[in-house]
Amino acid sequence: MTGGPLLEVEELASGYGSQLVLHDISLSVREGELAVVLGPNGHGKTTLLRTISGLLRPQRGQIRLAGQRVDGQRVHRIVAAGVVHVPQGDLLFPDMTVLENLQMGAHLPAARKEYQQRLQMVHDLLPRLAERANQQARTLSGGERRMVGIGRGLMTGGRILMLDEPSLGLAPVIIEQIYEVIGRLRDEGITIVLVEENAERIAELADEVHLLDHGHIAWHGPAVDLMSRPELRATYLGG
Amino acid sequence: MDTLNQILVTGLTLGAMYAMSTVGLSLVWGALGMLNLAHGVILAIGGYTAYWVIAQMGFPLVVGLFGAMAMGALLGVVMYFGIVRQMLKSKDFETNIIIATIGIAIALENLLLRGFGGSAIPQPIQFSGGFWIGMVYVPWQNAIILITAVVFMGLLAWFLQKSRHGRAIRATAQNRDAARLMGVDTGNVYIQVLALAGALAAISGIMLSSMTTLTPGMGADPMIKAFIICVVAGLGNVGAAAIAAFALGMIEAGAQFQFGSHLGFPTLLVIVIAVLIWRPYGLFGREEVERL
Repeated sequence: MTGGPLLEVEELASGYGSQLVLHDISLSVREGELAVVLGPNGHGKTTLLRTISGLLRPQRGQIRLAGQRVDGQRVHRIVAAGVVHVPQGDLLFPDMTVLENLQMGAHLPAARKEYQQRLQMVHDLLPRLAERANQQARTLSGGERRMVGIGRGLMTGGRILMLDEPSLGLAPVIIEQIYEVIGRLRDEGITIVLVEENAERIAELADEVHLLDHGHIAWHGPAVDLMSRPELRATYLGG
Repeated sequence: MDTLNQILVTGLTLGAMYAMSTVGLSLVWGALGMLNLAHGVILAIGGYTAYWVIAQMGFPLVVGLFGAMAMGALLGVVMYFGIVRQMLKSKDFETNIIIATIGIAIALENLLLRGFGGSAIPQPIQFSGGFWIGMVYVPWQNAIILITAVVFMGLLAWFLQKSRHGRAIRATAQNRDAARLMGVDTGNVYIQVLALAGALAAISGIMLSSMTTLTPGMGADPMIKAFIICVVAGLGNVGAAAIAAFALGMIEAGAQFQFGSHLGFPTLLVIVIAVLIWRPYGLFGREEVERL
């Protein structure tokens, strides 16, 4: 079930200093949709998410969440408006326990009010986090760290969940588990923006796909269309 | 046995003062990646503020203590809005801020010199008398310094470990971007940390001057020691810094009794160098300490 546009990005340009990474990005994500941004490494996927969540200030263009402009605002305001960004490499708080990491996810007053229900939900979804509650984050395995990153993001609540390459650096069996979790989140109606490098894994999951090529959106359309057009994948994703 | 107890009293007092002057420095380093070389002069200003409020304005001791803490906190906040906020945006923040805070330290020390003169002034927060524990005479002054330090360390530990704001400070120190993504207003965290460090420095300034005297340059020596303690403990590790402060206080006291008072500090330095050769990132430090 998908509704009206929740996230709208319009003519966005962003980068580091004078070096632009994103040149002219426009995309829109509807409520309840799982949108995938596909593209090879170094083409701006991470930069796009960092710009939407405010870690990077856009140099041009607009970002709207449910019709309200959020571009140029400070990160904590954008988070409060409902953007949840699970960054690449997890960025956990290494010297905190798993539970403290989750508590940090519920830092904002609105999230704190629903802390107990959310914690229950996260523990149901990722039971490993309940088992490891009192373990220091730095001692976790790669897969567990990824789960803490996702769980911490879910604790924030928010209206849209952005996941930056959740499969990165994990063993295939763990990737499957992570993708199962993402599938369950989608089934619960959570709006998700998923960034990935590899088209195969997202085929059954994605509603809409945006192909990112050198800082431009080269193509976008339903996931089924991408799968039926191997020449598209060959051009932009290298096979 | 007597000597040992005497060393214990002196060492604990030294440790308490070192801990008070070190945790602020460590906290600021951890949260902002900022080596604040104005820390010593803030400590001195804390001592002078207590003197000014009590001896010159005639207020009670408690007002002097809180006045000094307020002044230390205010200096932290002014530093944030005056320079830190602007400089944080620069890529070479860690180096630039060292130069900037040296400048601030020199300017403020000269203000103290103009305002109060260069000669030594006694600290009015003093406690006379003492008590006996077995065969050892413990001056009230030492006991109160130790108690004050333990109380404030306990409060600080509780604040950092248990409170929401404290957790946000730790989160910011461990990963600034991640903290921001959790909705932490890191600008606010920096203000809190600088204010807290300033207030703690002011208390340690009162403690130190109560054992010696007030002079405009009184902060230099404790700041160097605080920096050494931070390095030994592992920069930015506040809990370890407090423990290391007490350990080094005890060692210095022991060395003073054993080799004479002028050899206390050199002994300390030799031990520190040995520790750093053995563990370059400090006793409790980790190699992958994230520089913010």
